[in-house]
Amino acid sequence: MTRLRLAGAALASLLAGCAASPSLKDGLPASAPRAIELAATPFFPQEDFQCGPAALATLLVASGVAVTPEALAPEVFIPGREGSLSLELIGATRRHGRLPYVLATTADEMVAELEAGRPVLVLQNLGAGPLPVWHYAVLIGYDAERNVALLRSGSEQRMEMKWQRFAGTWHRGGRFALTTLPPGVIPAHAEPARFIEAAAGLEAAGQRDAAAKTYKAATARWPGEALPWLGRGNLALAQGDRAAAADYYLRAIQLAPDNAAARNNLAELLFDAGCLEESRRQIERASAFAVGTSLESSVADSRARIEATTRAVARCQFEDRNWPD
Amino acid sequence: MQIESFRRTCVALASLSIVSLGMQAPAIAGVVSTAEAASSARGDSPRAIVDATIARGDVQDKLAELGVDAAAIEGRLAALSDQEIATLAAQIESAPAGGDALAVIGIVFVVLIILELVGVIDIFKKT
Repeated sequence: MTRLRLAGAALASLLAGCAASPSLKDGLPASAPRAIELAATPFFPQEDFQCGPAALATLLVASGVAVTPEALAPEVFIPGREGSLSLELIGATRRHGRLPYVLATTADEMVAELEAGRPVLVLQNLGAGPLPVWHYAVLIGYDAERNVALLRSGSEQRMEMKWQRFAGTWHRGGRFALTTLPPGVIPAHAEPARFIEAAAGLEAAGQRDAAAKTYKAATARWPGEALPWLGRGNLALAQGDRAAAADYYLRAIQLAPDNAAARNNLAELLFDAGCLEESRRQIERASAFAVGTSLESSVADSRARIEATTRAVARCQFEDRNWPD
Repeated sequence: MQIESFRRTCVALASLSIVSLGMQAPAIAGVVSTAEAASSARGDSPRAIVDATIARGDVQDKLAELGVDAAAIEGRLAALSDQEIATLAAQIESAPAGGDALAVIGIVFVVLIILELVGVIDIFKKT
């Protein structure tokens, strides 16, 4: 009898986990459509343990990349874990020239992505408690009247899942939701800091063209943010265009005079351009602003090198220009 | 058999893709990368940078241990930031690895057996 009651209580608490979230109709933002289905989203039925590559291929193909789950598997699958980690899906997205943007942990941004015509990769935990079952699926829509989420999942091309159950599995999966954006596309709901860091990840992965488009879009969308200008400066400098890079660093410094990175990079640029005196002034400013930050040691290295040089490598390329204090 | 052919496909594709993978933007000496600047703007401590450098090696070893083709590992990690690598290092054994929905059936079966054994349900035929 006691055993029965215990088992019953355990079962009840499992069910309660699902019952807590509201129905889709109640939770949907007022402006959102009552139903969406991105029916043109491709479908890749998953093979054994390959839901990561299958779900990622679904998103990448939907965003215009020609790729297959088979091609993605060696990039993301971990045999010893019989699955794929979300961070590796993020890395693979960058390698294919798309910007991986992790959505906020509320369902609103997922709905906004669907409204924008982009399917959303979600991590679900289909198990519970000590028996988790991790699974990647692709949310392609919902129907508020019928209270269902629409998914491409595993071997099912069109899975309807009761919204509360979907929300519950997503919640137990850590509320991970990912969109893969073509370069230059910025979701309406994007937060500047998070988005710009995502763009920097694209640049660091060697996707310079995609990063350039993304920074350009970011400077247009958030004219007051310094970092996209720094990004444009770094890309211009990498291509050997000192004059353009100098302009971009200047914009970054005008917007954020205490930005140690922009000051440091301007100092490096001026050093290479033969403008030793101005380079020294900028690197001193940079090192003052870098104190106590993660940039402190790399700025200190630059400063040591610049200050140890007594003769400019060439005649200053920018003699007639004024630089910020 | 299926696993063997999958393994072979993996190795073939991995060796093909090495050329295109791992093309981390070559840093210009002394220039702070946009990613470093963003991580600093977010308030990462100097300590986090040191940890990340150590973590990259750890993650490489761990992925090899978990059966990832050695030739592909560097390329896979090249697209991740230092902060992401540090996260990966901390979670590689425990982070959710999305795999197979089919396993659900197995779990349901286990739950049914437990419920049967403790006497909550009685669905299995007994001889």
